[in-house]
Amino acid sequence: MRAARAARHLGPAAPRGARRLERHLALLRAFWSANLAEELQYRGNLIANLLGVVFWMGTAVLTAALFFRQAPALGGWSFWEVVALLGVFNTVGGVVEAVVRPNVGRIEQYVRRGTLDLILAKPVDPQFHMSFRRVEAWRSADVLLGLGLTSFALVQLERAPSALELAAFALTLASAVTIVYAIWLTLLTFTFWWVSVDNLEVLFDAVYEAARFPVSVYPGPLRFVFVYLLPIAWITTVPAASLIGRTSPATALLAAGVATAALVLTRRLWWAGLRRYTSAGG
Amino acid sequence: MLPAVPARVRQPPQARGPDRRPSALRDWLTRYAALIRSAWLVDLQYRAEIVIWMVLGVAQPLVTLAIWWVLAGSGELGGYDRADFARYFFALMLVDQLTLAWDVWYIDRWIREGEMNVRLTRPFNPIHEAIGDNVAYKLRTGTAIALVWLLVALFWPAVRVPVDAGRWALAGTAVVLAAGLRFLTSYVNGLLAFWTTRATALAELHYGVSLFLAGRIAPLALLPPAVAAVAGVLWFPYMVAFPVEVLTGEVSGAGLVRGFGGQLFWLSAWITLYRLVWSRGIRRYCAVGG
Repeated sequence: MRAARAARHLGPAAPRGARRLERHLALLRAFWSANLAEELQYRGNLIANLLGVVFWMGTAVLTAALFFRQAPALGGWSFWEVVALLGVFNTVGGVVEAVVRPNVGRIEQYVRRGTLDLILAKPVDPQFHMSFRRVEAWRSADVLLGLGLTSFALVQLERAPSALELAAFALTLASAVTIVYAIWLTLLTFTFWWVSVDNLEVLFDAVYEAARFPVSVYPGPLRFVFVYLLPIAWITTVPAASLIGRTSPATALLAAGVATAALVLTRRLWWAGLRRYTSAGG
Repeated sequence: MLPAVPARVRQPPQARGPDRRPSALRDWLTRYAALIRSAWLVDLQYRAEIVIWMVLGVAQPLVTLAIWWVLAGSGELGGYDRADFARYFFALMLVDQLTLAWDVWYIDRWIREGEMNVRLTRPFNPIHEAIGDNVAYKLRTGTAIALVWLLVALFWPAVRVPVDAGRWALAGTAVVLAAGLRFLTSYVNGLLAFWTTRATALAELHYGVSLFLAGRIAPLALLPPAVAAVAGVLWFPYMVAFPVEVLTGEVSGAGLVRGFGGQLFWLSAWITLYRLVWSRGIRRYCAVGG
């Protein structure tokens, strides 16, 4: 009897298929609208962030320009092709700052302070809850300005992508975001083993530096690492390449495959880490 | 029974004898020894974090080096061939770690969250604690980078710098002056938290500009002449590029005199600015929290 009641109580936690998706979307709406209301109190942040984004994008473009003073191409890419890639770099970076860092970056706190208990007790998938609870809405300026920079570069290249190329770009960009999320979750899951280290996410920032340029620029061994071991080639090079027609649209399917594999592996690691969690304090 | 307290703790320093009056110098040495020791012990708890920050610190120079390496190919760019680039950027990683200052982030927090209060009750200016922190941090990271560099140099001749005691002494001096300069810019920037809540945003801007003007992305010789001219009249090259070039042997003669002169000039300018900002700011300060 009690078990039956408990099952009914837990019922909504384990719906299947479409209902499950619908329920998670409703949750996401609730999370983010609450968050947006909070964010709108700090409108000054939007202006500060816009200025910051423009400044850092300018810095990145000038850096590329400095290299192009000495050579006509970088890893076979022309200046505006690299600028298109920098737009992608900024777009993905914006998603990291808006959604990934404020959520996944918090795992360290949850584990060290024992507040993960509060998430585990909720009738929601804990990975979903702790990955999407917050959004720093004004950071979406990075995403928009990044896409703007990429479009501007396309105009300079006098290149109108075909519908197929646009679809490939959308798919590779979604894969890129998924891969970034998987890298973050993998890094932060190590908190379960190394509880006292509180800046694991900085390792991502270090590796992401290398994503500012097409992987073809790097010497052979480094390129191998970036394609197969630390999959940053899939984050900026592949989306930019599919938009400017440097790869066949079929590459997008490969990117989606890599993203799915990264997601599945990360989820397994996350559960392995979660099993080590013993709570803390009270 | 009395607990076994070491004799030197029970006796105040003044009681050590009529002929050994405490001198101001010894007082300061004792204070600094204590500050550096305590900072060292705090850092020891965070050693894994410090390694991770170092990885981030070397990522940008390494990526930049990889690109110059490829661009230089078998020729040279602006007088730099592959080996020159490798030496330049390895020296840059070492100099950067030895002159790095995180102070703006700390001072900003001290002021905004009221952590300045306890520091104001001490019998010395809070800047000494910050200096002690920096010495301890740099002993740790500088040693680590130097060891890595030595190890790499064993296998990769390109990054070796000539063994020359005179040059190393000059480079050491340039690094100390550069560290002082970077520390002051960061500290003064942090003090702006007396007036604004966006002091750290300004620090990021300063860092962004320093990518070009301090020689982080390219040796100054490879910048467009107009940009290099702007850098020449500001403090940026003296923070990184100059000590790096002293270490790699890129500057000599009149260039050394000009460089050290510039370092001393900007150091005194920033000390003056620090005094001004500190005395104005501390009068504005209303303690927050506790």
